[in-house]
Amino acid sequence: MPKRRDFLALVLIVVPWTLLLTLWHQRAGNPLLPVPKVNRTGVSKAHQRNFRLHEPCIIKNKHITEVTQMKYVHSRSPPWSDALPTLHVITPTYRRPVQKAELTRLTNTLLHVHNLHWLVVEDAAERTALVSRLLENTGLNYTHLYVETPQNLKVLKKPRNARIPRGTMQRNLALRWLRENINPSSGHKGVVYFADDDNTYSLELFEEMRWTRKASVWPVAFVGGLRYESPKINSQGKVFGWRTVFDPRRPFAIDMAGFAVNLQLIFSKPQAYFKLKGVKGGYQESSFLQDLITLSDLEPKASNCTKVLVWHTRTERPLLVNEGKKGFTNASVEV
Amino acid sequence: MRMRLKLKTVFVMYFMVSLLGLIYALMQLGQRCDCRDHGMSKDQQISHLRTELQKLQEHIKTSELKKTDVPKIYVITPTYARLVQKAELTRLTLTFLHVPQLHWIVVEDAPQPTPLVTDFLAASGLTYTHLHKLTPKDRKLQEGDPSWLKPRGAEQRNEGLRWLREMGAAAEGKEAAALEEAVVYFADDDNTYSLQLFEEMRYTYRVSVWPVGLVGGMKFERPVVEDGKVVRFHTGWRPNRPFAMDMAGFAVSLRSVMTNPEARFDGDAQMGFLESSFLQNLVTMDDLEPKADLCTKVLVWHTRTEKPKMKREDALQKQGLGSDPDVEV
Repeated sequence: MPKRRDFLALVLIVVPWTLLLTLWHQRAGNPLLPVPKVNRTGVSKAHQRNFRLHEPCIIKNKHITEVTQMKYVHSRSPPWSDALPTLHVITPTYRRPVQKAELTRLTNTLLHVHNLHWLVVEDAAERTALVSRLLENTGLNYTHLYVETPQNLKVLKKPRNARIPRGTMQRNLALRWLRENINPSSGHKGVVYFADDDNTYSLELFEEMRWTRKASVWPVAFVGGLRYESPKINSQGKVFGWRTVFDPRRPFAIDMAGFAVNLQLIFSKPQAYFKLKGVKGGYQESSFLQDLITLSDLEPKASNCTKVLVWHTRTERPLLVNEGKKGFTNASVEV
Repeated sequence: MRMRLKLKTVFVMYFMVSLLGLIYALMQLGQRCDCRDHGMSKDQQISHLRTELQKLQEHIKTSELKKTDVPKIYVITPTYARLVQKAELTRLTLTFLHVPQLHWIVVEDAPQPTPLVTDFLAASGLTYTHLHKLTPKDRKLQEGDPSWLKPRGAEQRNEGLRWLREMGAAAEGKEAAALEEAVVYFADDDNTYSLQLFEEMRYTYRVSVWPVGLVGGMKFERPVVEDGKVVRFHTGWRPNRPFAMDMAGFAVSLRSVMTNPEARFDGDAQMGFLESSFLQNLVTMDDLEPKADLCTKVLVWHTRTEKPKMKREDALQKQGLGSDPDVEV
């Protein structure tokens, strides 16, 4: 009798453990249990955040619930997909009569884009009510920043190289925000794009730039006095020059709207920013890109740079001649 | 050889191990699964992600815009070929795609439909009708003419109205009933429209009106409303016009358009009177329906796009080195 019992015990020990060990061995490459992600970035679903840079900003592993507070159901942005890289779109903006109109139509475009994080940086001493309200009502995933370009450096009377090109401080602030708020080792996949508020973007453009591994480039319409400027691509599919008339010898003879950079590349070169002063006209983009990448590493998009997917449109300044000195229209109505 | 192992110990041991395993699994429940290293190659991953993206996009298109129980908005947009045309149509499309039950009527100022607009509309994802009507030479603005010299788009808008009237007359049953509620809006291709605007205009009995930003040399023009009725127009320029407002500032019910078959835009009208030439056949100021919080909110802006500077392109063209004309801009 005891022998059978011992035999049973032996079987009960050996069989399950053999099974377990064989299974374990099989799944050695693919863990059965999920691997925890450390410090996942807080950029998820339709959350909204206002950010002051001097506050300590540590984003812990938060699960931010989806905020659906839209007045008009049809303007909800597309659902977040964890499989897609995030597009961090940086838009500097400043106050002028067409500002609300420009931001409105940019919003209407961005609402179609999946996994978008819009960083709006105002050239202002504080967040304006107009932009704050507009951003709240869009339902987009946004971060609202602000930094004022010092007045004396905006003045046009100063010589070119003493001026800070418009939007520079704002773009740099957004870059700094990304570097300080997203953990590079969190596995977050993102691409950074600088979108001015008066250009026109097609949806195809955003999907082309989403798969940027280091930095990607494409043609831009209506810049440099041409129908479009574009990078020159050789037979190996590499960029070797620039098809522009205005100073094609620039290191990166490309408009702000013509390139996107992978977020990991930006993290790996923490000194890369847009140069503030002493930048010759048209060299702003180069001042940033030359610290990041070489020409041969650029990835051409838009069918090897043969399609135009973004237009450098400029909006006319409205002639407010009939407002007169005291303002004809009611100042409390927001335009 | 006798083993001193008791069965009881074995069972207890197994129980402890399972319990520990269960606890471990429960701890992992809230975490994200890193399923990406399943042995798929990078390219397979990319195509898998791409298909997922497409699926998501399709889902968006079909879910939100299925609303069929709201009145349809027919938007008539005259357009003409120039450098910024494709850009303007692009951003217009991206706005319209958010509006349920919108039917876009694009009327080209051309002798026949152009490939650019034809291909563009086909890829847009919108419900559309593509028409064309050439403006007679004497009414057309010439190069160098100021934009306000001759009214633009009159023939094209009339063509849109003609199509609508034809369509309305041919409709029967449920379709005809739906058209009773429909609204017509004239949207130029360079203005900026908020999404709220379309919801404001959707329920129009005859003609509804609202403020327009950045027009008439002012921050905004608007109808002045007292006791729920429009009493006059607040504009800095010729406020005594019958309807002193911009094309973007009103919408007309399709019913009104059908019951007034003679109402159309007068291409020979004096500057600023184009809107009046159409509206005065449809409605009196008293009957106007004020929208946008009794005409106190600006939901549409009369933006104008600069003409891109082409001096380098022109110089290159002269040398025969112009940019590839096959690349559509």
